[in-house]
Amino acid sequence: MTLRDKAWSPYAAGILIGLLQIPAFLLIETALGTSSSYVTIAAHMAAFADTSVSKMDYFAKHMYGAKNLWQVAMVIGIVVGAFASMKMSGARRQTISPVWNRAVGFRSLSSRAPMAFAGGFIMVLGARIADGCTTGHGISGVAQLALGSTVAVTAMFAGAIATALLMKRV
Amino acid sequence: MNILFAVILGLAMGAVFGIALEKSRVFEPGTIVSQMQLRTFLMLKVFLTAVVTGLVVLAVLNGAWGVKMFPKALVWQADIVGGMLLGVGISIAGACPGTVFAQIGAGYRDAWFTVTGGILGAMTFGYLEPALRPIMLSGGPGKLTLDQVAHIPFWAFALAVAAALAGVLAVVERFKPWREEAGPDFDGLAALASRPEHSTPASLSSASA
Repeated sequence: MTLRDKAWSPYAAGILIGLLQIPAFLLIETALGTSSSYVTIAAHMAAFADTSVSKMDYFAKHMYGAKNLWQVAMVIGIVVGAFASMKMSGARRQTISPVWNRAVGFRSLSSRAPMAFAGGFIMVLGARIADGCTTGHGISGVAQLALGSTVAVTAMFAGAIATALLMKRV
Repeated sequence: MNILFAVILGLAMGAVFGIALEKSRVFEPGTIVSQMQLRTFLMLKVFLTAVVTGLVVLAVLNGAWGVKMFPKALVWQADIVGGMLLGVGISIAGACPGTVFAQIGAGYRDAWFTVTGGILGAMTFGYLEPALRPIMLSGGPGKLTLDQVAHIPFWAFALAVAAALAGVLAVVERFKPWREEAGPDFDGLAALASRPEHSTPASLSSASA
């Protein structure tokens, strides 16, 4: 298992992700999560055009402070880590995944882009309504035995499975 | 807390997270859609292994040293409606809110549109939040956890759930080995030739291509 491998066991990778809870809980005093970083970025972008954003409670509490900036730094770190990992193994990717041709018949970026945009919009809107995503509710919430997270993760898989089954077999 | 320290730690933790997402191939849209069509179980393996590890880590941190935990509140409408929308979005995006950043790093160009859509989704929610709060984001029993409901110490319940989930993973791996699920191009997709409708009868037995 080295950085030159194109794939690691999902169990090794899962353990590595789970161990990230140690610095999260001990040093940042929060659980691992990724979807509130979208609010931090959105709030700062909205603040360019709308000065009232910093007076709106939900935006305001996500704009500054160590926990919010830690999470934004972490998602940037994910880009860097995945890029380095891909470079070292040579697992170069095409413009879009071949799964989109199999599932919905899209072969080009221009046909796939509106679908990706809509998917991202619904995904993060849902995550913010539920107050967490696959990481915050899933990996962190279930590991804390939180009842709300168990409900949210069950609903998430139900929605995802129902949607994927409407696509063609991949 | 020192902001510079938090940012540097965030970048370092993100780099480890990004490597784990890329090497496990769970960031692949093919892995996500195949999982949600219940054809492969690679995403479930990474996800549940991270949960099991987290359960053991928190059983020790909380059970031995009393480290504070941060469970989210149970709000039925928000968890069900939000969770389902999140799931619908995950299958359309072929990503989760965290793994889409690994897609950008690995070179998928549509991931930039997914992130842009996600930022606009967060912005939309931020503006709707004051109106949604009274009707679906509040009420409910609060930060309820399973160990509280069952009156069992957290560490004991956590280790029991970890053991049960590890058992589930062992059974799944026995029937669906991960090396085959990653696919020949490591994109979470089986070779087309290995699928019955694309192959001649003679090649049906080579499903693991």
